[in-house]
Amino acid sequence: MSGIVCAIRGGPDSRSTIDNAISLAEETGLPLYFLYVVNLDFLSHTTSSRVQAISTEMHQMGEFILLSAQSTAAAKKLTTQGVVRHGNVADEIINQCHEIKADYLVLGLPQGQDPENIFSRGQLQSFSERIEREAGAKVILTGGTTDE
Amino acid sequence: MNSRFLRTLLVLIMVGSILLLVIPGAHAQGETPAIERLITGKVVDKQGQPVESADVTLDVSGEINPIAQVTTQSDGRYTLIVPSSDSIPENLSIRIQRAHFKNFDMKLGSSVISPLRSGEAVAMPMITLTRQINLAFWIATLTFLIMLLLMAADKLHNTLAALVGASIIFAFSYSSALLGQGLFIFNFQGAIKYVDWNVIFLVMGMMIIIAVVERTGIFQWLALVAYQLSGGRAWLLVTILMIITGITSAFLDNVTTMLLMTPITVQIALALGINPLALLMPEVMASNVIGISTLIGTPTNILIGSYANISFNGFLANLTPGVILAMVGLVIYSQYAYRQELQSASEVSPLLLEKLSERAHITEPVHLRKVGWVGAGMLVLFIFGENLNLVPAVTALIGATVLLVWIKPDIEEMIEAVDWTTLVFFIALFIVVGAIQEVGLISMIADLIARLVGGSLILTMLTVIWVSALISTVIANIPFTAAMLPVIGYLSVIVPGAHSKVLFFSLAVGSALGGNGSLIGASANMVTAGISERAGYPISYIYFLKKGFPALLITVGLATVWLLLRFLVLSPPPA
Repeated sequence: MSGIVCAIRGGPDSRSTIDNAISLAEETGLPLYFLYVVNLDFLSHTTSSRVQAISTEMHQMGEFILLSAQSTAAAKKLTTQGVVRHGNVADEIINQCHEIKADYLVLGLPQGQDPENIFSRGQLQSFSERIEREAGAKVILTGGTTDE
Repeated sequence: MNSRFLRTLLVLIMVGSILLLVIPGAHAQGETPAIERLITGKVVDKQGQPVESADVTLDVSGEINPIAQVTTQSDGRYTLIVPSSDSIPENLSIRIQRAHFKNFDMKLGSSVISPLRSGEAVAMPMITLTRQINLAFWIATLTFLIMLLLMAADKLHNTLAALVGASIIFAFSYSSALLGQGLFIFNFQGAIKYVDWNVIFLVMGMMIIIAVVERTGIFQWLALVAYQLSGGRAWLLVTILMIITGITSAFLDNVTTMLLMTPITVQIALALGINPLALLMPEVMASNVIGISTLIGTPTNILIGSYANISFNGFLANLTPGVILAMVGLVIYSQYAYRQELQSASEVSPLLLEKLSERAHITEPVHLRKVGWVGAGMLVLFIFGENLNLVPAVTALIGATVLLVWIKPDIEEMIEAVDWTTLVFFIALFIVVGAIQEVGLISMIADLIARLVGGSLILTMLTVIWVSALISTVIANIPFTAAMLPVIGYLSVIVPGAHSKVLFFSLAVGSALGGNGSLIGASANMVTAGISERAGYPISYIYFLKKGFPALLITVGLATVWLLLRFLVLSPPPA
């Protein structure tokens, strides 16, 4: 198996990431997997007992966001797959790359004012190196997004 | 005949013997009738609130041991029993000692001693104790502030922050035996008295009911109904979503409502090509506004209702018209604030709409029907239960139990669905707030406010509403409300016309509607922002402030108009 993993979280910032991934899939002929990771860390400081119910809702929202990306690809006659995973975003991206033996991982560069995390500009380079080292996928960073 | 007499005599002797054995002192009392010499009285603080657990002793000057001693009850009353065997000396005095108050000594005059000698009971005048600021005061105050800071800075989970606060209070209190009495705030028994179990059980009962409701798919179905009713018109959609979310929030907690409404709202917005924030922001603000119309709609109302004994009907009758007024303002404001986003709806995606329709259905119709019946029964009990002195906590527990017995869910799952962290948070919070009450900080704040408002009801109302609203934008409104309750209780006693509980309603309005002013103002805001950010539409602190603060001014302003109308014009206080 091989392919391209495009990790997204939706929103206007994801559009260029999705477009770049579609272009790459068209160029290489590799299958394209859109990935959405459900991460419920934001519940930790408010309520944690609702995790089960909200997890299902977030999964469906993720599928919906992926469906939106897939319909963009479908408009360009490209068949894609949507994958929703649950857990730590960085770990799940690496796991997905492992599972399909991905050749490429398309990620968006941060643009907004998100809090410092592994996808912030300062840490993204080391995260990319980690993916290349652990999953063997070449990381392609596309302009101006904060995508997962 | 003789044998019957002997049997009767034997029984009487046995009964008499048993009585003599089991009633201590019965024999002695029978010989010399006692004359009970009583001294009764009441101890209060400067705010007129009863002082409980104060040690009252009757001393003779020069003697080490007191003649009589007793502890004040929860109503501040005491009754000293002077032993009948003692003669009554001239140099008697009463001493009252209580942690966090200055010692009180009063020499008794002949007006007290003479009646005592003749065996009469004496009623003492009310005694007012003066607060004493000691090290414990500063420890409790600092601990409370640290707890608030930890919560506001999001450095610790709210529950952990409250537990840290309670632990600090106990650590200092129990080390006072070694390090000095100045550190003592209260012991465990004293702390537990401050925990409002009515709140704990009401919240727990409602959590169980919510756990059943959230699995029925009702939220998703309601969101789709909103879309269908609107016919795809964005302005109408946002209005219907606001009303649905708000009404749901009046009966379930806001956080759960927004947790379940946000993902489906994002999907509707994406399907219609609308920026999801144009729907989510009005929704969460409506949730914060309409939630205050019932006793169970917000945690702050639960706290206020329990403390001030305000019934379900009390909130409904006194706040609902104001809430409707505020909602009208909020709907108009939302249409204006998001006019561009709502007008720029791009073409509807049939694929996404189809997917949406597939999902938005009732997943557990049988359970939902049962929830409906139980919910209706609970509503009847909430409304009419006050006639039976049925407290809301009992209604919630009965409702939750009936529901569990009826639907027989996996009990382990249900127990897990109870948010124990929130319940522990409330218990720890009550202890920390109890500590600042115990050491006198609350009394000082109450005094300060009373001096500032100078007995004017209208000024007090405006101060309570707007200060609560503004403070709730920067600190969590639950600890703030919990701390303010005794302050409001005091103001309700001393401000003329405030006995109608108007100040408690003012606090309910300010603390809950203030949550619309900033991202951290309400937990529902935080979870909405969390989900929205994960859909690629982050809500920053500044963004929320820009959109939310005008909403705060409008909704709090309109609710203020209603409260003034309701309590000063429609039912003016007696002159």
